[in-house]
Amino acid sequence: MELSVQPTRADHRIAWLTALAITIHIAESALPNPLPGVKPGLANVVTIAVLCLYGWRMAAWVSLLRVLVGSLLLGTFLSPTFVLSLTGALCSITTLGAAHLLGARLPGAGFGPVGFSLLAAMAHVAGQFYCAYWLFIPHAALFTLLPVLMSMAVVLGVINGIITRTMLQRVTP
Amino acid sequence: MTRADIVVLVLALALLPMLYVKFWHHGAAGDEVRIMVDGKPWQVVSLKHDRRVTVHGALGDSVLEIKHGAVRFIASPCPSKYCIHSGWLHDGGEFTACLPNRVSIEVIGARARYDAINF
Repeated sequence: MELSVQPTRADHRIAWLTALAITIHIAESALPNPLPGVKPGLANVVTIAVLCLYGWRMAAWVSLLRVLVGSLLLGTFLSPTFVLSLTGALCSITTLGAAHLLGARLPGAGFGPVGFSLLAAMAHVAGQFYCAYWLFIPHAALFTLLPVLMSMAVVLGVINGIITRTMLQRVTP
Repeated sequence: MTRADIVVLVLALALLPMLYVKFWHHGAAGDEVRIMVDGKPWQVVSLKHDRRVTVHGALGDSVLEIKHGAVRFIASPCPSKYCIHSGWLHDGGEFTACLPNRVSIEVIGARARYDAINF
């Protein structure tokens, strides 16, 4: 029996964009990490751009495939790092879905890249933090870190959003 | 930036100070300091009045200074002076010790900041 799968144009597009996100993800993992738990999350620029250009379903595919393939390439698959990464991605993609739905109902333009990126960054940190708390370090002292991590999420989320906006202005005519 | 973006940004910036207040707020200030010598309670001194207390330990005299509701070691006959380097203690549950001189102090308050401390 022969099983043939016909990839659609959308499948190809997901694959290309995921490859781009994975490249950024891996390049970023080579950067030194002066503050543990804080990283720029530049691969999310791709997620937000895809969300703005092609909608939420596509963005969810790109985000989750990036986490899966990125962990396989970096050798962290099924490790605590992977669990945290996946939790962060699931939380941010869920939040982005809600924001996308809400934005469509709002009068005016809804959310732009900066708003999406900020929401995604904060959801990512919040989800990851509670996951780390429940699974790995159930100690109240961990919460001392939360304000710092959340501040970094706000700063980096806005920066990534601005990068995404600039990129989209160049990509779309 | 769209209007929705600005609303999210303002809410995020409002959330941050709340997080700092909630998670970085220290325990309640203490009322008294319990001084122990040789592991046994020696004296409980109120932090309300500024004064100096001299404690006779195993090696000699340790001097504590109480000022503005806080207490610290200012002199001790120990070699490493860890007790002096701990600085001011103000919150309930804060603790430090001069082990060579067998003197330890613990701030007592309505609410303790720590359950236990190890060095």
